[in-house]
Amino acid sequence: MIKIENLKKSFGTLEVLRGINIEIAEGEKIAVIGPSGCGKSTFLRCINCMEDPTGGSIVFEGVDIADPKVDINIHREKIGMVFQQFNLFNNKTVIENIMLAPVYVGMKALRKKKKENRKIKLSNLFKRAEDKRPLLEITETKESIKASARARAEELLLRIGLLDKADEYPSRLSGGQKQRIAIVRALAMNPRVILFDEPTSALDPEMVGEVLDLMKTLADEGMTMVIVTHEMAFAREVASRVIFIADGQILEEGTPAEVFDSPKHPRLQDFLSKVL
Amino acid sequence: MDFFSKIFELFSTGKYMESIFEGLKNTFIISVFAALLGLLLGTVVAMVTIARPSAAMKLPKAICKIYLTVIRGTPMALQLFIMAYVVFAIRGFPQIITAIIAFGINSGAYVAENVRAGIMSVDIGQTEAGRALGLPSRVTMLKIVIPQAIKNVIPAIGNELIALIKETSIVSMIGMYDLTFAAKVIGGGNNMASYLIPMTVVALFYLAIVYALTLGIKIIEKRLRAGDKN
Ligand SMILES: Nc1ncnc2c1ncn2[C@@H]1O[C@H](COP(=O)(O)OP(=O)(O)O)[C@@H](O)[C@H]1O
Ligand SMILES: [Mg+2]
Repeated sequence: MIKIENLKKSFGTLEVLRGINIEIAEGEKIAVIGPSGCGKSTFLRCINCMEDPTGGSIVFEGVDIADPKVDINIHREKIGMVFQQFNLFNNKTVIENIMLAPVYVGMKALRKKKKENRKIKLSNLFKRAEDKRPLLEITETKESIKASARARAEELLLRIGLLDKADEYPSRLSGGQKQRIAIVRALAMNPRVILFDEPTSALDPEMVGEVLDLMKTLADEGMTMVIVTHEMAFAREVASRVIFIADGQILEEGTPAEVFDSPKHPRLQDFLSKVL
Repeated sequence: MDFFSKIFELFSTGKYMESIFEGLKNTFIISVFAALLGLLLGTVVAMVTIARPSAAMKLPKAICKIYLTVIRGTPMALQLFIMAYVVFAIRGFPQIITAIIAFGINSGAYVAENVRAGIMSVDIGQTEAGRALGLPSRVTMLKIVIPQAIKNVIPAIGNELIALIKETSIVSMIGMYDLTFAAKVIGGGNNMASYLIPMTVVALFYLAIVYALTLGIKIIEKRLRAGDKN
């Protein structure tokens, strides 16, 4: 589903990623580990072009999204992202946070259809009756788009047990609640893959569990996930593959058992001896 | 009690009060429209200033930089003179329009700096979350960043409006009939033959306007904070 080839990223003269190659298949759960500052976040942020890669290609569903000419927004709709700092929209309630993007996408599609119909009408003026093209059928309205986004948001909130918080602002929620809402906000777009950047690192210890539990459920349901994490136990349990990044490259990769129980690269051995 | 009887004389003389209200009206019109122009211009300039550098933005960015530097680096009175005697030195061109444009352009430069600072003060994570969901930068700005920035900039913008209102008094220097000019006329030899009284009264008018505006801004600030959105 995602094929990354020779991905490079520099900030000025600082070469952070020096050629990353990885292919991620549907349903895989990739855990990304590595020492602090090695470029894990940069790698993750390149996958949805939050950072523009300096070189290489990222082929997502057959399109090289590293190409600056592609409309990245369309692809980002299908690549969810969950941040360390949650980043819920402070000026929106919980349910508005979840509905915002789906409503935007729905309205965009509606405008596009209407525009297409105007074109068809105009060109029909110059055609004989039997050549006239039929108009596209439009069943959505602004209200119906909002209503279905709301229904979906409520369903997601119910699922994580936070439906009663629908009309609260993020400032009134705990870190664990914020992060779970950030996760369902990403889910509301029905993404093909979700990228997690240390989703539990900013949480108080007692809230880590609830977020990891939700992620585990998603994993079990078959969601494709790329997870930068320091939670080694979680990585071992959930990941289908673990990749170890250091010096801007993938120095080792394999199943959790291979990476954690019989690390080969000295850098990985050294890293694991510090974190385990 | 000469002072108070003179003040009474001013308030009870129809033509003096007419002068004051004529001046007040012009001060008001210039301030309001210049403020609107300044807010609009300032917001646009702020957007250009913070936009990501790219080939297409190069020229707009350069223009904005020159605009900000020149406007903030030269005296307002000089800018007004240039507008009145050079740019709009057209016979019959309404002076009030000249004044609105001159003050709007001036105010825009200060508003731009405030708006820019307000937008920068919104956590970058808010923008990133919007963009990561596939929202275009324009939509993220409009729906997420600007609403939060507004709350941050209201006090600074309020101060700018207050400064603007007081500064409009220099239009009397190009012979425009504003509140300050009315004081000069009323104090002149054919009228009261004393500047103390009309100047004091006019000062009270400015004070009242500024005070009302300050109160208004406080109320807006409180409302926004009561929403407790942050
Ligand atoms: N926007 C940026 N500008 C300049 N340097 C950056 C930027 N983002 C990250 N870096 C640098 O890139 C390196 C990798 O950062 P990051 O990907 O955040 O590491 P990690 O997530 O593994 O801790 C660090 O040295 C960091 O200072
Ligand atoms: Mg990081």
